[in-house]
Amino acid sequence: MSLVERITSFADAKVWYGNLPIESLYTVGIAGEKFFRAIKDRGVIMGSVCPSCNLTYLPPMMYCERCFAELEEWVEVGTKGTVYTYTVVGVSLGGAPLEQPEILALIKIEGAHGGLVHRLGEVKPEETEIGMPVEAVLKPKKDREGSILDIKHFKPA
Amino acid sequence: MRQVAIVGVGYSGFRSISPDLSYKELMYEAAAKAYDDAGVDPRRDVESFVSVAEDFNEGTSIFDEYVPDQIGGVLKPVHTIPGDGIHGLIAAYMQVLTGAMDIVMVEAHSKASNVLTLSDVVAYAMDPIYNRPLRANPLFIAGMEMNRYLYKTGTTEEQCAQVVVKNRANGFLNPSAAYGARLSLDAVLSSEPLSYPLKRLEVSSHADGAIVMVLASGDVAQELSALPIWITGVGWCNETPSLETRDWESATYARNSAEMAYRVAGIRNPRLEIDFAEVDDTFAYKELQHMEALGLCREGEAGLLLEEGDTELDGELPLNPSGGNLGVGHLLDASGLARVLEVVLQLRGIAGQRQLEDVETGLAFGWRSIPTTSGAAVVLSN
Ligand SMILES: [Zn+2]
Repeated sequence: MSLVERITSFADAKVWYGNLPIESLYTVGIAGEKFFRAIKDRGVIMGSVCPSCNLTYLPPMMYCERCFAELEEWVEVGTKGTVYTYTVVGVSLGGAPLEQPEILALIKIEGAHGGLVHRLGEVKPEETEIGMPVEAVLKPKKDREGSILDIKHFKPA
Repeated sequence: MRQVAIVGVGYSGFRSISPDLSYKELMYEAAAKAYDDAGVDPRRDVESFVSVAEDFNEGTSIFDEYVPDQIGGVLKPVHTIPGDGIHGLIAAYMQVLTGAMDIVMVEAHSKASNVLTLSDVVAYAMDPIYNRPLRANPLFIAGMEMNRYLYKTGTTEEQCAQVVVKNRANGFLNPSAAYGARLSLDAVLSSEPLSYPLKRLEVSSHADGAIVMVLASGDVAQELSALPIWITGVGWCNETPSLETRDWESATYARNSAEMAYRVAGIRNPRLEIDFAEVDDTFAYKELQHMEALGLCREGEAGLLLEEGDTELDGELPLNPSGGNLGVGHLLDASGLARVLEVVLQLRGIAGQRQLEDVETGLAFGWRSIPTTSGAAVVLSN
């Protein structure tokens, strides 16, 4: 199917422009509140425990995605882990080439089910490998605001 | 149980831009062709309409309001599913199974060229509290998964690149594919890394188009069509949305979807009973990972079978004869329905230059792309 007349310039193919400035709030919730307060105030990473599945969730959830139980037990999981997988991102959010490619990784924390997705720092892409031990580098306490970015990055341990 | 068949298909596209047609006109064209193919009048014969759309991709809130008119569904039962096209097909299939309907249609489309900030839309699909603050291009998820998949299975970067060479060459034989091409392995391997080890040519490019299918119950299908294509099994599964706790190695969502579809279809040994498959290849490594998860070979074997030519058009188990998302173009939520479309064309024996010989049973599998673990499978027989 096509138009009756041939289109010879882009301007003839009429389009209308629209946009929507979407802004949202996201309640971090009971589990998120506990997790971010622990990082901000005490510099520790906490997970929530499902005793019947014997799993410690990280990021913590207030329910178990395996057995649907409400989780009430919490433990500190430490700030050390290993690189489960990583990538070197060469483009920005909008797709433009990055001058300084970023290393992103899923860091599995020992004893936890899950881990944290974060940047790796103080390491070059060619030195990065799966299985590499890393530890969290936190921002100075005064700069922390209760966000995943209170962790600056993970660095080789 | 009632039998359900696809008795008509129609599509518009697929191309990188479609400046001449509005999304409604793309849908109208596909629907008109499908009704003509099925020999039905939508105003008189079609009892229910299922469309597949996601508001953010459409640029319109409450998009389901904008669906009925261009598919002939005004004043009739219509609903819209935000999912993969195969989820929509399964919904239509189940409506026929209830016995309340005999003729139901499903529609999915992509007007990706009208979405000016597609990567922002994908980024907005990530967990806002734990993942989004990193402000990384969402392709990082595919890069991390590919890296882990290669590490776990021993699959090589060359094998992933070979998927692109194969599928774009298949697309070259498909007149409706937007990105058919004869590429060298080197061209793929040397395209720039977007998210190591994932390279630019290993990421499917978006295309515009619409696909409509008409489903009918057993007797009605026999009356309408000389060659109804029977839906013999369906399955679908979502793993966890959590990037942190999901399976990064073996596409569990695909395995569970296929196991359900095989169970419904009574398939015990998919390797022997499936003649060919159309499987999601949004990223090149995904074809290999999905092939393994769908039980079409053992874990770590897909890359080797590809190298041996098993998944070529003339191989033991042709994969993505249409060209897949890499060759046809990624059609947003219509991608899964494009996989089904090719299975239907092949089983009808009208796939032209890429027609496979002696095919009786085909599998289509769709995935909703990053950051999801949302999959759906359907088994079809002629
Ligand atoms: Zn549990």
